[in-house]
Amino acid sequence: MIQDFVYSRAKTVKEALDLLEKYKDDYKIICGGQSLLILMRQGLVAPANLIDIKGVEELNYIKFKPKGGLKIGAVTTHSEIQKSSLIKKHYPVLIDMEENLASVQTRNWGTIGGNLSHGDPAGDPGPVFIALNATVKMANKERERSIPLEEFFIDYFETALEEGELLLEVQLPVVPPKTATAYEKFNIIKNDQGIVSVAASITLDSRGSTCTDARIALGAAASTPIRARKAEKLLIGQRLDDGLLEKIGKKASQEADPVADIHASEEYRKYLVKALTKRMVKKAWERAKIIARKGGL
Amino acid sequence: MEKRLLHITVNNETHELYVEPKRLLVEVLRDELGLTGTKRGCNTGACSACTVLLNGLPVKSCSVLAMQADGTEITTVEGLADGGKLSPIQRSFLDHGAYQCGFCTSGMLMSATALLKESPKPAKEQIIEAIHGNICRCTGYNSIIRAIKAVAEGKYKEEE
Amino acid sequence: MKKYTVINTPVHNIDGIAKITGRAEYAFDIQLPHMLHGKILRSSYPHAKILNINTRKAEGLSGVKAVVTGKETLGVKQGIWRRFKELCDEEILARSKVRYIGEPVAAVAAVDEDTAEEALDLIEVEYEPLPGVFEPLEAIKEGAPQLHDHAERNINVTRHIEWGDVDEGFKEADHIREDWFRCSSQHHVCMETHNAVASYSLDKKLTVWTSTQSHYYIQVLLSWVLGLRENDIRVISRYTGGGFGSKFELDSAQFCSSLLSMKLFRPVKITLTREEEFMATKRRTPMFYYLRTGVKKDGTFIAKEGRVFTEGGAYTSMGATALYLTGFFQAFPYVWPSYRYDGYRVYTNTAPTSAMRGFGAPQATFCAETQIDLIANDLGIDPVEIRRKNAMYPGYEVPGQATIQSCGLTQCLDKIEDWIQSRGKLPPNRGIGIAAYGFMSGGIFNWFDTPYAFSSAVIQINIDGKVDLYVGSQDMGQGSNTTMTMICAEELGVRVEDIRLHMGDTENCPVDLGAWGSRETLMQGNAVKMAAAKAKQQIIEYAAAKLSPNIVYDLDIKDQWIHLIARPERGLSYFDVVKEAIRGKGGQPIIARGHYTPHRKGMISPAYSFGVQAVEAEVDPDTGKITLKNCVTAHDCGQVINPIGVEGQLEGAMAMAAGYGFTEDLPMDEGKILNPNLVDYKVLRATEMPETKVIEVETYEPEGPFGAKEAGEGLTNPTAGALSNAVFHAAGVSIKNLPITPEKVLEALREKKKKKSK
Repeated sequence: MIQDFVYSRAKTVKEALDLLEKYKDDYKIICGGQSLLILMRQGLVAPANLIDIKGVEELNYIKFKPKGGLKIGAVTTHSEIQKSSLIKKHYPVLIDMEENLASVQTRNWGTIGGNLSHGDPAGDPGPVFIALNATVKMANKERERSIPLEEFFIDYFETALEEGELLLEVQLPVVPPKTATAYEKFNIIKNDQGIVSVAASITLDSRGSTCTDARIALGAAASTPIRARKAEKLLIGQRLDDGLLEKIGKKASQEADPVADIHASEEYRKYLVKALTKRMVKKAWERAKIIARKGGL
Repeated sequence: MEKRLLHITVNNETHELYVEPKRLLVEVLRDELGLTGTKRGCNTGACSACTVLLNGLPVKSCSVLAMQADGTEITTVEGLADGGKLSPIQRSFLDHGAYQCGFCTSGMLMSATALLKESPKPAKEQIIEAIHGNICRCTGYNSIIRAIKAVAEGKYKEEE
Repeated sequence: MKKYTVINTPVHNIDGIAKITGRAEYAFDIQLPHMLHGKILRSSYPHAKILNINTRKAEGLSGVKAVVTGKETLGVKQGIWRRFKELCDEEILARSKVRYIGEPVAAVAAVDEDTAEEALDLIEVEYEPLPGVFEPLEAIKEGAPQLHDHAERNINVTRHIEWGDVDEGFKEADHIREDWFRCSSQHHVCMETHNAVASYSLDKKLTVWTSTQSHYYIQVLLSWVLGLRENDIRVISRYTGGGFGSKFELDSAQFCSSLLSMKLFRPVKITLTREEEFMATKRRTPMFYYLRTGVKKDGTFIAKEGRVFTEGGAYTSMGATALYLTGFFQAFPYVWPSYRYDGYRVYTNTAPTSAMRGFGAPQATFCAETQIDLIANDLGIDPVEIRRKNAMYPGYEVPGQATIQSCGLTQCLDKIEDWIQSRGKLPPNRGIGIAAYGFMSGGIFNWFDTPYAFSSAVIQINIDGKVDLYVGSQDMGQGSNTTMTMICAEELGVRVEDIRLHMGDTENCPVDLGAWGSRETLMQGNAVKMAAAKAKQQIIEYAAAKLSPNIVYDLDIKDQWIHLIARPERGLSYFDVVKEAIRGKGGQPIIARGHYTPHRKGMISPAYSFGVQAVEAEVDPDTGKITLKNCVTAHDCGQVINPIGVEGQLEGAMAMAAGYGFTEDLPMDEGKILNPNLVDYKVLRATEMPETKVIEVETYEPEGPFGAKEAGEGLTNPTAGALSNAVFHAAGVSIKNLPITPEKVLEALREKKKKKSK
């Protein structure tokens, strides 16, 4: 059962930051609450003060600039991301991600900021945004700061958000030319959280035949979403073939550090990392090739 | 804990209630307003039996604090039939036997209603996506999909 | 010409309007004036003595009205097998010992749920933990911790079925296979969790609103454990949000709410959370299966031997029946010249295992059908062919066990064979697997020791022709309310809208044993048909007097028209004759009774449904993931009564059975269920359902109303076996350990690769 709390509501970022300061000793922020409320109902989380930022409309936006890239406000819901024509045009992998994320009910109320702040290594946005080279902007009453998303995740359900800090925005740079991203998670029931998940971003050279940059992010394969950097390095300068895929799949699986639970053993998770990495690298590569041939971005 | 004032419109009727901040929307609907058509089937936001429409969007009412629904318009299953007229999706459910024990039915109807409002002619994949969150243990889903499809195909118009 | 007017026509479910408008009031929804809320404290130890329970602090919490413990009960060890007292071993509210994690030890009533929950934390229970044992093959060893004083080596029940000479048979066999299987547990996951509102009045009468499959059983069992007169207890269950076998035994919500209400003379409501539901409301029986089967080289079945150890959990529950039925259905649906089965149910310190849709038959069918495909593969025989060769047929006698009357199994095999051929060459990594099954239509057993007919019905016809139909059956979603209404309408010659059904209330309904074992259509249906026939006879007598036809003519009623069968244009309106009949009876409404109890119908059931299911599945060779593509079922339920209902039952059974096959499991660690929620316990959602097709094979079952048999439970039997066979044909690996997870498939594929490379 939910323990009693003092409830405060913010309508602006300033109000929110004031409340965080006021209650800094014992608070939790609720936005969509799709993760938080479940924990509170089970008695696992019991803040004395609950600060509701769902109504902070100034953080509900999706903006795109051809030079600056994409900015998504923290209070933007998953559904709003799924339905955004801007995102469909420039970052279609995010649509894939949202279509496979939980259920429409959760997406209608849950937010991107809430999801990232929860710090679940099995969450979908983590690996996908990392593959897209995302940055997150946070603020407290004194100052704002931005860090790469990879640095935002510290441990299981632990992020870089400090006391009094609020996640404001996720920023994605413009997708480099001849670059594509693919994402897949492995589950038994569709849209369930991944037993493991892999997001891969591949950038090809001007002829579209060798890889000039790669970002591979793994979900549910460690205590946070992680980059498979060694696997990425093996891709640089290479052409795509089955041998290469096998090599980077194996390497990514070695970089993974998953735990065993009732859904899968450690060994199987590593095996899945290998299988999914191979698939996603291939998929991203093939998408990038098409982009390269079209001569566009 | 001190109660807070909640303004909420449910099925086109406005209510002014005092609720504890920890109360969930589903509790206010069922226990305060007596609208027991919306059910609860789990404690982890997984089953969607509690689905209602909040400003037209399907949400799990067990995973929304009542206070967060302040100033919003809620539609529950009791609000689907207009006066004495069943809505098209309700009539289709009847014809297709798209329910058995009936416990998940209100949630399914709300998800279906929202889908058909947004996309009047959804493809099968869209139908499945719309009801994916709703667990049904009795029907195996296919009769529900058929019922929604029939409305999508224009077989049920709003009654005059 | 259409055979029937009402039967086998698409009829709206009679509870439809209530359910689709949110007006159906489940026990879950009941709110009464002055009502309190209850919560149950449950053991966190799998095995322990209860030394002391101190409830003082809890009682002192503001808002708490009462706390009860087992010490305040009559200490009755109850159970459904009332004729066999040694199998009545469960107190529900434990007094001196707990035997599974989740066993109730105390209950609280308070002004609201939160206060009741807070009070649980204040109850101090002093336990003396005892060593626990969790696997049947461990529990049966010498020196294992003993759960019950009377059960040496924790052996709860044994069962033996035998006919022919199995050892001789094996000598004659050309090919013998031995296989070991492990069948997992499964949870019912009813959408409405167990709950009860009990209200004990100052005139010492108890009313209990509850979600149940048998209000009669609950009434009798409450009378036993509470020491109240049976008919001073009223059990009401108008709508039940799912049962699947979990809701016909007395449960902790019913017992504890009654105890608290009797202490306080106020209504007390207890609703189990989903976690409690998983932990402490019984589940499918896990089984360790050994099968040894001998066949001739042309595929003729000769001899089969089965040995099964089942994980009983802490109490007998309905596990004894599951033990028998798994042995019985292991030999279905084929002709076995010789068969021997030995089953052992073993107590373990885990949540009791009991009845779940299929009741031991899904486990039996999974093992039998998987092995048959392996045998067919060994001998190079087609899977359909080997089954057809040995299929049961109408008139077959299962020696000493059953007479098969109607049986459409061979036609089902033919239909499935046609479908498989129509699929042509399958894409890579895909396979089709089949499984054949048979199932009972209600059991002949009276271990409950009721003096009543197994089913009864009462009809009263009013002056306006409206028919009041009183039945004892319980509709938990399977549609019995509509089925009974249709049977009555057909027999009586009226329309569905002429009938007002009364059910779900012990105060004004006749007794029926409840909705389990697939008994309602056949047994309650027969009772309804009998009552309707008698009522019809009374009306026809008046019509005959009025029409004065030649004595050789018969009259009947169809669609509100009483007429000469040979000259249907000569007749009278049903409504007119009813009015006159009532006048003729001194103003009394027309009343008729019906009943049904199976007599001399073998050891199990009066009638058996049959079917064959084909599952087409795709196996991802890189991950082992299984995707269901198609599921086609040809089934014989005799005469279909409610076609919309049957299709729904088939699709629903398939989803549940597929879950048993590859997604659902209850992993435990020393008696603790590790996934007691709907995030980690994976039931199929709309996204996992394949295309389904239903093929009706119509037969006529003399034992059933209008020739009808069960449909809805038997359909849970074949899917796990069909799925394992599909995986076998798709990927060349046979998984004998449920559920068939991707990890197991991948492991098997890697093993196979390793063996090949050697």
